[in-house]
Amino acid sequence: MKAGLRITLDKIFTVVAGASVVCLCLVLVGVLGPMLWRGGSAVVFKGTVEFRRMQLTLFSRGNEDKIAAEVKQAEIARAKVYSEIEKFKAGIDAQTLTEKARQIYRQFGNDLRQVNTSAGEVTELRSVTRQIRDRLESAFASSNAAEVNESLAYVLSFKNDSRFKNTSAAGLIELAEQYRNAIHGVNLAERQRYYQEIRQVEDILVELLGPAPGAQTPALMMNRFGATRWDLAQKLLGRLLWYEEWTKQGPEQPMVRRLTPRSQRFAGTEIEGLFTYIQQNLPEMLKPKTTIYWQYFIDDSTPGHYFGGVGPEILGTLLLTLLAMLFVVPFGVISAAYLVECASDNLAIRLIRMSINTLAGVPSIVFGLFGLAFFVLFFLPIFGAPSKGCILAASMTLAVLTLPVMIRSSEEAIRAVPHAYKEASLALGASRFRTFVKVTLPAALPGILTGVILSLSRVAGETAPVLFTGAVALGPVPKSIFDPTRTLSYGSYDMAVGDKLAAMVPHNQFGMVVTLVLLILCLNTAAIVLRSKVFKKLAGH
Amino acid sequence: MLESSTIKAKQGTLKDTLVPAADSYRPLVLTPTEDIKGFLTLHLGRSLLFAITCTSVLAVFLIFLFVIREALPFLAKFSISEFLTSTEWYPEATNPKFGTFAILAGSGYVTIVSIIFAVPVGILAAVFLSDIVSMKIRNIIKPIIEILAAIPSVAYGFFAVMVFAPWMQQKFGFSTGTNALNASLVLGVMALPTIISVSEDSISAIGRELREASYSCGATRMETIFKVVIPAAHSGIIAAIVLGMMRAIGETMVVWMASGNAAQIPHPWWDLSQSVRTLTATIAGDMGETEKGSPHYRALFAAGLLLLVITLCLNLISEYFLIRAKRAGGKH
Repeated sequence: MKAGLRITLDKIFTVVAGASVVCLCLVLVGVLGPMLWRGGSAVVFKGTVEFRRMQLTLFSRGNEDKIAAEVKQAEIARAKVYSEIEKFKAGIDAQTLTEKARQIYRQFGNDLRQVNTSAGEVTELRSVTRQIRDRLESAFASSNAAEVNESLAYVLSFKNDSRFKNTSAAGLIELAEQYRNAIHGVNLAERQRYYQEIRQVEDILVELLGPAPGAQTPALMMNRFGATRWDLAQKLLGRLLWYEEWTKQGPEQPMVRRLTPRSQRFAGTEIEGLFTYIQQNLPEMLKPKTTIYWQYFIDDSTPGHYFGGVGPEILGTLLLTLLAMLFVVPFGVISAAYLVECASDNLAIRLIRMSINTLAGVPSIVFGLFGLAFFVLFFLPIFGAPSKGCILAASMTLAVLTLPVMIRSSEEAIRAVPHAYKEASLALGASRFRTFVKVTLPAALPGILTGVILSLSRVAGETAPVLFTGAVALGPVPKSIFDPTRTLSYGSYDMAVGDKLAAMVPHNQFGMVVTLVLLILCLNTAAIVLRSKVFKKLAGH
Repeated sequence: MLESSTIKAKQGTLKDTLVPAADSYRPLVLTPTEDIKGFLTLHLGRSLLFAITCTSVLAVFLIFLFVIREALPFLAKFSISEFLTSTEWYPEATNPKFGTFAILAGSGYVTIVSIIFAVPVGILAAVFLSDIVSMKIRNIIKPIIEILAAIPSVAYGFFAVMVFAPWMQQKFGFSTGTNALNASLVLGVMALPTIISVSEDSISAIGRELREASYSCGATRMETIFKVVIPAAHSGIIAAIVLGMMRAIGETMVVWMASGNAAQIPHPWWDLSQSVRTLTATIAGDMGETEKGSPHYRALFAAGLLLLVITLCLNLISEYFLIRAKRAGGKH
């Protein structure tokens, strides 16, 4: 081969090898970047007045008077929206209007009985009002503008009739007047469509601004507040301003989404301009403000993680990991000490080493099965504890899982202690046990600590072993170690796949997993820093 | 004995006139009781330590014992050959069928594809770290790999299902974003740190002399690496690949979340955009819904046993190659 070609190939190889490492870094950024970015918005975001109201109601947080004042201001801006929709609905909802007319008619009939009038007059009045009512009803039901106008004109001709002055029947005429104003500019043939779409608008408004004034408090906590976050509000505003339709392009073809501006759907009516008003005044109605919601890490959450934070999950994860460490550290360190200090290369030691390697290779889900079969179904009942998943069983399963990690890292740390330390101690007459406890162990301690932190981070992220042994997606904060607990790892799984409600709050989905990742990254960074320090110290710098 | 008694006698006479230093009371030779005591503490202490060290043996034993115990009624009642070769997995039907072949194939699919992605990148990165860059850059890149290894599997799964799956569906027009390709790619990323660190160790263990001999013959760096270093380190690299496979086949959360969980063999066989189901995902997904002691429950334990046996075999293979790699490294 020519020398030039060989050198070029060599250079290409160098570049490709470098590219693989760059690719690694890119993968790391690609995986962590979107998650951190979106998860960060669970803590730092633009909170609306609804968010502050929610915080006050659920967690009694914030200044009550200030929030009340803010709510009042927002309500002033919102009032126009509600009143216009109410007015518009008055002309659209034929059923309610008919009901109203009938009620007034009945009321009038009752009133007539109380008043002292002759029987003939009563009959006449009744027949006239019945006629008015019927004409009104036909006006409400009809979609022909001429017919409606004719009926209304008939009804309104009684406006100055002295017989109806100051009686309940005047309500019918008032109704007719309202209706005439309301249907001004409305295409009557499309009234049904208007009715359905205004209901849609109202539903979106409930999500955006919270329950309408006067409506009763919804049973579900998630429906009691409007959009708590500005990004959520923007999304809802989009749904409010644009009408979404799925149309078929033809047989055998996928449905296509088509968006039309909502104001166009209501073109010519009174509320056509309302949508621009909402768009322009939304900041007034919701008062967004940059919020740092650090309490995300301590708050409990409402079902489906709709509101609130990940406090119980963090608590559960810490409980599980610390308890697991409590079990595994003594065993791990002693095993490592034995393997380094006392063990000769015989059959038993080889068996132990093989076991450790096997244990390290067992898939995590098999640890889950083992935890279920051994700790939950066999071990706990022996001590009279209820045979169900609990913190104790889960943490013991995790302890078994992390035992090989712990042994290997401690062994490495103990081996790294220079021989000179030990020999000096032995030369002074200290026994081997004393030497180990007083000299080797203190020197190896930072290294062992590094191992502990690394196992801690491994344990905190494990999901499969705790699936059947003590993790739940929903549930109260555990009271004892015999209760199951929520954990960050299982919560992340559940919010991504299991919980349909969580899909409505992506910031909380990402927030959960980012909390887990950050916890683990912090632990790992601590371990890396600690190790580099130990390395420098033992190297004699 | 004689010496110690004379010392004692001396001390007795001097007692009134001289206050000796504290240590001089100590006899230089042990008395029989002290000797026995010392012997006993040494050996008792040793055996206690040994017993504690045996916990890991006990743990392995208990894992096998309890998984087999729960799976045994199933293995006794149903035919094992059908369990391994049938593709029909209908555990909750009135006439339940427990054929894991499609599920095994799913595990095989994601494992092999992930290894195909991970091995070239992993070995190139290992070579880059050991032979090409300086120590300084290496110290920067190593923590990155460690962080990649530290990210919990559920976070990778979350990424796969929430970020990667929609992106793939949009970009390539797959019918579903949670498919074999998605799971394999993410598994590949998860297997990378293992592959890199183990193969880098074995490549670094190959001594300078081999490389220098190659360079002195006029070989370029690429030729040295491909014709000398990698052949010399092949045992360690094989061990690295096997360990990476172990990580991929035993991984639960990513495949459960990202593989789509359809117990089928993709048709045509190379179509990775279809959903598959793996052993681990089957155990994780079904266990919550089964009744304790039912055939389905036992079948899942049998699947766990199968998984345990597979990983044990892979473990033994990797052990064999690691020992060979150690010897190969030690020679130079």
